[in-house]
Amino acid sequence: MTIAIIDDEQHCTDRILAFLKPYQKSSVIVCFDSVDSAIEGLEIHRPDLVFLDVMLGNRTGFEVLSGSEYVDFCLVFTTSYEQYALDAFRFSAIDYLLKPIDREDFLVAFQKATDKMHQKQLKERVDVLMGHISQLPNSKKISLPTKDGFEFLSIQDILRCEAAINYTHVFSKDGKKYTVSKTLKYFEGLLLDFGFFRIHNSHLINLNFIKVYSKSGYVTLSNGLKLEISVRRKDAFVKACESFLKS
Amino acid sequence: MGFYLVLVFFLDFFLLVDQDTLALDIHQLSQKDSILIDQRNDYLKKNLFSITADSSLLDMALQTLSAAEILGYQKGVLMADERLGLIYQYTFSNPFKALDYYLQALNLAESHAHLNEYQWGIKGNIATIYYEQEEFKKALDFFREVSDNSAAAELTAILNIGNIYGSLEIYDSAIFYFSKGLEHAQINTNPTQQANLYSNLSLIYSQAGQPEQAITTAEKSLKLVDSLEIDFVKPTAYANAAMAYLGTGDLEKAAALAQESLEYSLIQGNLFIQKSAWGTLSDIYAAEGNFKEALDAYRSFSTLKDSLNNQNRRVEINRKQMAFDFEKERTQAAAEIEKQKLVRKYTLWTGILILTGLLIASYFYMRRRDALTAKKEADFKALVSETELKALRSQMNPHFIFNSLNSIGDYILKNDADAAQDYLSKFGKLMRMVLENSALNEIQLSDDIRFLELYLQVESKRQAGKFTYQINISEDLEPGNILVPPMILQPFIENCIWHAFLGMQEKGLIEINFKKEKDKLLCSVQDNGVGRNNKNSDTEKKSMGVSITESRIKILREQSGFQGELRIIDNTSASGTRVEIILPLHLAF
Repeated sequence: MTIAIIDDEQHCTDRILAFLKPYQKSSVIVCFDSVDSAIEGLEIHRPDLVFLDVMLGNRTGFEVLSGSEYVDFCLVFTTSYEQYALDAFRFSAIDYLLKPIDREDFLVAFQKATDKMHQKQLKERVDVLMGHISQLPNSKKISLPTKDGFEFLSIQDILRCEAAINYTHVFSKDGKKYTVSKTLKYFEGLLLDFGFFRIHNSHLINLNFIKVYSKSGYVTLSNGLKLEISVRRKDAFVKACESFLKS
Repeated sequence: MGFYLVLVFFLDFFLLVDQDTLALDIHQLSQKDSILIDQRNDYLKKNLFSITADSSLLDMALQTLSAAEILGYQKGVLMADERLGLIYQYTFSNPFKALDYYLQALNLAESHAHLNEYQWGIKGNIATIYYEQEEFKKALDFFREVSDNSAAAELTAILNIGNIYGSLEIYDSAIFYFSKGLEHAQINTNPTQQANLYSNLSLIYSQAGQPEQAITTAEKSLKLVDSLEIDFVKPTAYANAAMAYLGTGDLEKAAALAQESLEYSLIQGNLFIQKSAWGTLSDIYAAEGNFKEALDAYRSFSTLKDSLNNQNRRVEINRKQMAFDFEKERTQAAAEIEKQKLVRKYTLWTGILILTGLLIASYFYMRRRDALTAKKEADFKALVSETELKALRSQMNPHFIFNSLNSIGDYILKNDADAAQDYLSKFGKLMRMVLENSALNEIQLSDDIRFLELYLQVESKRQAGKFTYQINISEDLEPGNILVPPMILQPFIENCIWHAFLGMQEKGLIEINFKKEKDKLLCSVQDNGVGRNNKNSDTEKKSMGVSITESRIKILREQSGFQGELRIIDNTSASGTRVEIILPLHLAF
């Protein structure tokens, strides 16, 4: 297995190297400290797993991804505190580690990376990632990790999400249902800024698809589905609708 | 023996005199038209009594009235109203309609200063109507008012008052007023009136049983009517004179006068005086002992009396009819007044209702405005306390950071790089949570517990083997659906870790419990440490985190709806301290 560490700070590279010590014999580990050397190195070494820092000097790790022809690897970002990047990672279902990297977190990520599943469709996921990083008002997408791989949905095509204990059913506007092993809370955090509102413990809806709101505490979505609004969420819901209509 | 004559009305008709028509007109509207109206009114006045049955006068008067009304020529309106009253009173014998017009004229005269002087003539006419209707009291009141206020109409009013007292058989009053009339300056300019006065006065004297005065007075009237050939008064004068002489027993003279009266009244066709003359004659013949003649005279008297009675009955019926009409009109007027009262009442009530409505509306408006102001104030207060809370939460960060830095320094001192690294990454994670959580008002209990667990892990790693911990959540709680202020327990846990187990040999235990108590969430931190009382005096002072948390709870308590409580209990039975924080059970969904 070939592992690439791309980071401009030596102590960060050292820390990952320290975590990788037990696997040193069975792997080839290469390190790069700039965007250009990384693009070049990826072509040459074609690694299976890449730890990529978000900030590389005054450039970013995303430039490495967009500059490299070869993206057929398992990708784990490392970052300190770039909140916008964290959301982008979550949307694209790309793994990341927060610095200083916790040993347990690293082991979990490493374990996942060796699983073939997580290497699938990286190209598309990177596209989703770039969509979110670019800050362009184009239709932003979300990568949904399902049993068989990833589904890429336009955020505005999501009708609603429904909680199913530790899973979430995501319903698209064309009636498809995707089951993702993330909590509804996770989706709520991601989609709150995209006109979504959690009306109930188990329902997150896209305000764009509300057809009828009845004061008795129900909304009817464009597909005719009637959902209850939790009593405690009513006021916040009305406020959210108002600000949503204004924007 | 009876008195067969009645008093003759002083028919002076209280005609309005307006010598200054032209002078007034110059200041009125269109000269030409108002002059024309005056001329028409003058014409009406002149012709009213010369051609009594002329119904064209009514049309003319009505036209004049409407012309004057259109022009807004008040004096013309007043005059025309008065003329119409006269026409109805004398030509159509309709005192009711006449009174109607008189009252309209009177209203105008009284409400316009420059027309004031006309009111006395009109009042005189009204009094005459009452006199005719035998409403003597009202008639007297009006005549008195007229005689007191109008020099022009004074004499006629005085004489009519005398007549009324005569009709009422109050002879001394009648004599008083007639005498007053005789003293009046104007009486000499009107011999007809003077003759009439003497004649009427002589009758009163006869009736009052003063035959001497009656004769003197009667002679004066006879002298006037004979010398001036006042034929109109002759029958009455002669009849009254005959009565006077009969009273003194001068039968011959009385008979001659009665005969003359009879002759004059026959010429004039005056049945009433004929009847009186026959009655007087009958009395005279009877007194002479000439019974046959007396009987014949009495027969003529009876015949005339019957026919006159019929006439009187008609008059009586007419009068009753009038009275009925009056009463009807009065009732209608009363009904109209009642109706207007009702309308006024309803208007008043509607007004009151509208006013009340306005008051209520403004009350609600003000209440709403006050509520809005109060809401704004409350919002502002909320913002202030929000800011204070945020400030308090962020104060916890540096405090926490320095404590952790101390721990890292500890590791470095022990030269354990790996452990320091691991500790550092856990600390980083914790810091991330602190930063995220302290930006929020409320977080889910599950998140807060995750934070506490991480914190306890980090701290237990630092002080390996010193203590263990336990977090218990009662089963009826759903941590994902409960909202709590972030990190509210952390300072008390920190207190346990740093102070509770100092100098203790055995392993400490920190027990954290979340329990539901009705609609409250009971959070407790309990240790089995040395307790507060056993601590060294220098650690006695309140920890920074605890005082910050106390302030937070205080502010939360001031915010409406929050009923938090902090209790620190020293465990007396065993060792250790128990801290309880009671929070409202705030559900997210």
